[in-house]
Amino acid sequence: MNKLTVHFTLNQQSIRLETLAARSLLDVLREDFALTGAKDSCGGDGECGACTVLLDGEAVNACMVLISQVEGRHVLTIEGLTPDGSLHPIQNAYVQAGAIQCGYCTPGMVMATKALLDHTPQPDETQIREALAGNLCRCTGYTKIVQAVQFAAAELHHDN
Amino acid sequence: MIDCEVNVAKSCTELTQILIEPSARILAGGTDILPGMRKNSIIKPITLIDVSQLNELSYICEHEGQIDIGALTTHSKLITSPLLLQHAPALIDACASIGSTQTRNRGTLGGNLCNASPAADSVPPLLCLEAVVTLSSHDNQRQVPLSDFIIGPGQTCLQQGEYLSHISFAVPQKHTGTSFMKLGRRNGMSIAVVSTSVLICIDQNGNIEYARVAFGSVAPTPILSHHAETALTGKTPSAQLFSEAAQTMLTDINPIDDLRASREYRLHSAGVLLQRALQTACHQAEMDMR
Repeated sequence: MNKLTVHFTLNQQSIRLETLAARSLLDVLREDFALTGAKDSCGGDGECGACTVLLDGEAVNACMVLISQVEGRHVLTIEGLTPDGSLHPIQNAYVQAGAIQCGYCTPGMVMATKALLDHTPQPDETQIREALAGNLCRCTGYTKIVQAVQFAAAELHHDN
Repeated sequence: MIDCEVNVAKSCTELTQILIEPSARILAGGTDILPGMRKNSIIKPITLIDVSQLNELSYICEHEGQIDIGALTTHSKLITSPLLLQHAPALIDACASIGSTQTRNRGTLGGNLCNASPAADSVPPLLCLEAVVTLSSHDNQRQVPLSDFIIGPGQTCLQQGEYLSHISFAVPQKHTGTSFMKLGRRNGMSIAVVSTSVLICIDQNGNIEYARVAFGSVAPTPILSHHAETALTGKTPSAQLFSEAAQTMLTDINPIDDLRASREYRLHSAGVLLQRALQTACHQAEMDMR
């Protein structure tokens, strides 16, 4: 297995990393940077969305991106949502709606929500459900999660 | 971690040089090959070629009545293309039904074709559009009809050292309607139990000038149903005609029993789906006449 040097931006910081080329972005985030918000839940199948991060502003499963593929790109994880670690309005909305229970899917849900609201600030319920179709929750239930996205959309819209 | 080497191709020229290596496979969006390598070890390349830096293979453009789509164009980019919305809405519907947003943001059209799944969603509409793929190698470029490109489950006619560079089809003429319909186990994120795509061109008398009918998940590869096309050509659209086409189509498809559905269920639902797809496409073609 070969090594390579990758340059990318991680939560607004420039990174230069020498690592084994066949590692996934998810493994690098969790093991090298201790950014454990993104989770492995389905074993790298792209089924569950728990490892959702933003790559150049688009939601992707970090388990399905090899580290070589982030060369020159911007990666945003849930830890980078706000500069000071305070809760982002989307996170507050999830709390307010009671859309967090075990919390395992939450970072992925929040990042998928961010990608949606960045592109579509006022989504209808169908758009919300479609945008989150790749994020599985096995305990809270989707009704409150959809509500949380609606709260977040209203809050962010109000702020602007 | 995946047990393999990763080579990054910095240019198409470099890609053709690395592709000479017999055990090399291209890593495009990675949505099929990475889970495949992790899970059941069906796919065992020793070298993956990362093509993520080849931005020149990601585009959608129209030139002299022909639409070209670069192999690395993602499904997300395809489904937001005004050009495709105007000329190939069935392709948009098909690509929109692939996986999740996360998958569509990574998965590419070229990857969907080269993966050669019998259930590949983008293939039936492209078969209806009579799409042609361009295969490039270090010293050659050749064009192959999509219907000849996929030769079996997971198998294409790509030869050692070749890569798929783009997909092309002619802009459909006026009075054309297209549709795509897919039956899965649930609405989102599912692999097709049966899919169908139809392209109908209506003449000035309101008759079907020509028809293309394609299916996914009912044969070793996505296929065209020439019997259904013949049954439709020259006729006036009606529920009766569509029902006849659905009967005739059965001679062209040969589905299997698998974990998603039985052969019998597929035979039945392919007919139902085709009739709906024909209705939608004809309606669209008639709207296109006004």
